[in-house]
Amino acid sequence: MSDLLLVCRIAGQRIALPAMQVQSVIEIGQVTPIPGTPNWVRGLTTLRSQALTVIDCADAIGLTPTELSCDQRAAVMDIGGHPYALLLDEAEEVSEARSPVRNVPGGFGDDWARVALGMVETDGEPALLLDIEAIIDPERSVAA
Amino acid sequence: MDDLLAEFIAETREMLEASGSELVAWEADPTDRARIDTIFRFVHTVKGNCGFFDFPALEQLSHGAEDALAECRAGHREPDRALVDAVLAIIDRIGEMTDAMERGEALDESTDRDRALLAALATDGEVVEPAACMTQAEHSTSPSSFCQGSEEAGSRHTPAVQRSIRLPVELLDEVMKGVSDMVLARNDLARRLREAGEQPTIDGPFERLSTILADVRNSITRMRMQRLDHLFGSLPRLVRDLSNELGKQVLVDCEGGEVELDREMVDMVRDPLTHVIRNAIDHGIELPSERLEKGKREIGLLTFAARQSGNQIQLVISDDGKGLDTTRLGEKAVAAGVCGKQEFDAMSEDQRNQLIFAPGLSTADTVSAVSGRGVGMDVVRANIEKVGGSIGVTSTPGSGTVITLKLPLTLSIIAALTVRSGQETYAIPQSFVEEIVFGGGENVEFARAGSKTLVTFRGKRIPCVSLAAMLYGSEPETVNWREQTLVLIRLPGDRIFALAVDSVLDHEDVVVKPIAPVIMASKLYAGTTLLDDGRPMMLLDVASMATRSDFVSALGNGTSEPAESAIDEPKLAIPLMLFVAGDGSRRAIRLDLVRRIETVLLDAVSVVNGFAQVVVDGAILPLEGYDAALTSAEKCRLLRLSDGSAEVAYAVRQVVDTLDFTGTVMPVRSDPDLEGQGLIEGRPVGIVNGFSLFARYGSFGSNRPLICRIPENDEWARAILMPLLEQVGFSVATDRSDDIPDLAISIEGTEEEDVDACHRIRLRNAPGQTEHGEIFRYDREAILAALERVRQERAA
Repeated sequence: MSDLLLVCRIAGQRIALPAMQVQSVIEIGQVTPIPGTPNWVRGLTTLRSQALTVIDCADAIGLTPTELSCDQRAAVMDIGGHPYALLLDEAEEVSEARSPVRNVPGGFGDDWARVALGMVETDGEPALLLDIEAIIDPERSVAA
Repeated sequence: MDDLLAEFIAETREMLEASGSELVAWEADPTDRARIDTIFRFVHTVKGNCGFFDFPALEQLSHGAEDALAECRAGHREPDRALVDAVLAIIDRIGEMTDAMERGEALDESTDRDRALLAALATDGEVVEPAACMTQAEHSTSPSSFCQGSEEAGSRHTPAVQRSIRLPVELLDEVMKGVSDMVLARNDLARRLREAGEQPTIDGPFERLSTILADVRNSITRMRMQRLDHLFGSLPRLVRDLSNELGKQVLVDCEGGEVELDREMVDMVRDPLTHVIRNAIDHGIELPSERLEKGKREIGLLTFAARQSGNQIQLVISDDGKGLDTTRLGEKAVAAGVCGKQEFDAMSEDQRNQLIFAPGLSTADTVSAVSGRGVGMDVVRANIEKVGGSIGVTSTPGSGTVITLKLPLTLSIIAALTVRSGQETYAIPQSFVEEIVFGGGENVEFARAGSKTLVTFRGKRIPCVSLAAMLYGSEPETVNWREQTLVLIRLPGDRIFALAVDSVLDHEDVVVKPIAPVIMASKLYAGTTLLDDGRPMMLLDVASMATRSDFVSALGNGTSEPAESAIDEPKLAIPLMLFVAGDGSRRAIRLDLVRRIETVLLDAVSVVNGFAQVVVDGAILPLEGYDAALTSAEKCRLLRLSDGSAEVAYAVRQVVDTLDFTGTVMPVRSDPDLEGQGLIEGRPVGIVNGFSLFARYGSFGSNRPLICRIPENDEWARAILMPLLEQVGFSVATDRSDDIPDLAISIEGTEEEDVDACHRIRLRNAPGQTEHGEIFRYDREAILAALERVRQERAA
């Protein structure tokens, strides 16, 4: 596996996102909240007159919601034809996957197990490969 | 037919271009089977298509080439250079003919040249085409010369041909999206420029950019448009098939085929339209024998008429059949449980007609192959509404049914009403909005039923829901309904509910974009759009909201009439307009007197000798209610009152509301300007006395136009002053007539004429201080005021 991965941190955890799917990493400006949606849908923000749905992954996973900082980073991804901005603690690097995706002995812990595809070795430490579809799936969110 | 031809030409040309390289390859190797196949397919298709049109020459040529190639494919003939040349010549000729067709030139009968081309296909005395056989001897020229001939023909191409290309719709959508984004980016830039203040070096080019963008957007929108002819073109065939199947005879008449509609919309409408046609033929139009009995023409008529009105397309489908059988419809409806027997009896004829859109109804006694399965008009309506349109039906028993479809012009841009709730702005599709009512209005009452709130408006109880409660989950109890604005939403099927919002902002055309599934799952929003400042705004899904709060289904039709006793026997209501007068007091005036509400700049108001006047739309009106307190603002709001002939302007600080006043008017003797006082919202409000108002000012409706004399032989007076005078109702006399003019106007520098005139106005050439009441000749306001004074004094 030599897929390129964007290594970033969400809720302190080292996370890998498939770099091909990430259009860009942006600094998020104003977020317009959308009442009536789950809390982890932070709202909409605009990027070049395109409305992005802002997702707080930490909140979606069940961890402490991210506090929006003034230079909040987000990864812009197109999933299922809709543009999303995933809130990140920080974006670290783009790295090649150094190993196939595999499970961690003993599991990832309940919160992460639901949204992680597995662990992958990157340059330096290993990172969790996130299942983005699972995070933004409205069905699952109801269950969570 | 024209469309078919255009398509044929486009297709042929496309194939010609595609086969260009094949031809060259074939020429290099005449025995290449794959090439022969490709070229064979091309001429075969052309020949086949020719069958639809009357192009014998073209058909003969392609037929000839096809035959020759078919022989090669079957192995009866070795393709050689001569054959290649001959086929190429024919293909060139086909291209030439296609060009001619596109230019609208008539194709001649087979010319000698064509016959020669065909002859060239023949091999060693073996003849393919009989026609060619006859001329073979005369034209034994080598085929290559024909190639040259056609090249020459190609070079005399007429340039005035409308060229067309075929594009995938996705590409158009992509471009459309890009342009929409560009418009948003432009709006954003515009806002930033505004914030940055005036910058002449940037503003100019920006203006240009805006204009260009608007043009481009227009063209792109037109690119997506398709003439309804396309849709209409397929109807006669459909109708023919259906009517044959049902043993009926139906004639189709289409009008308005030139009306254009979004391509996507055309596709969306096709199915519902087919359904409507089926119904019309199956249920509407009678069998020929029945028709004859009733004294109608044997052949039924189905008419399609399309026209554009505003940003909507109206498509009317009418048949001259037997009309809707409301009695049977009622029986079915009661049987299907759509409505109760009593309910049906109470319905108006129109309401009964609408029952055909109820789910699960069919008036057909027998299920025919085409309709009568009970899935029909309700699905049609759902589909039409899905694209933001509406459908209606009217019917005259015995003479036919009319179905009216109203469709928005495009899918992606919708007219919306923007409202505010909390800190955010939301959009509601305009098509759902029935009316906007202020919760504080006198004619609005709120009632509670359990946890639900109902609003009583115009004698109807309408379920009421607060947008804030829907969105933020705040308790309905905490909502101060009186301070909310109610947007009455009409859902399909005449179900109405009131959505309470903090305020209504504006009407806007918005470009709607889809939203992520997780937001969709909230069932509150239908899409998103960007505001001019680049912030996103959510488009509310009012239909889902209604279902979600389930009052609509709970209350059946959504509205209910209050019981007789619930509302007092209405007294004769006086429609009033409530306003805050210049001195800050609340006043009301009979609405019938108010022609319109205007806002004027304070400059337009002048006070002369205690007479206030105002210039509105080039007319000068006496101004009542003008108060020094009003001068603090830059602008002044006016009610324009009229008694039918005279007009009076009434200055107000603020227009509050209109209401139907049902209370008692208490006369106020001390103030002749008031008709009386009424109790409105718990406060006594003076009602302006229209009688005394117009008695005071009403005399200027004098029918005799005042005559004004202006200096003779003065160009300025004739060209500039005269139109102004005539505009305000003076009759201008330049010649010395016998009448004594009411007014004479003299201009500085012209000889003051010695005329007897009751009044005189002197104009001067330069602005500035005046000594003897002269007016600067371009001081329009002052001139108008002076004229008005003359008028008033003459009238007195």
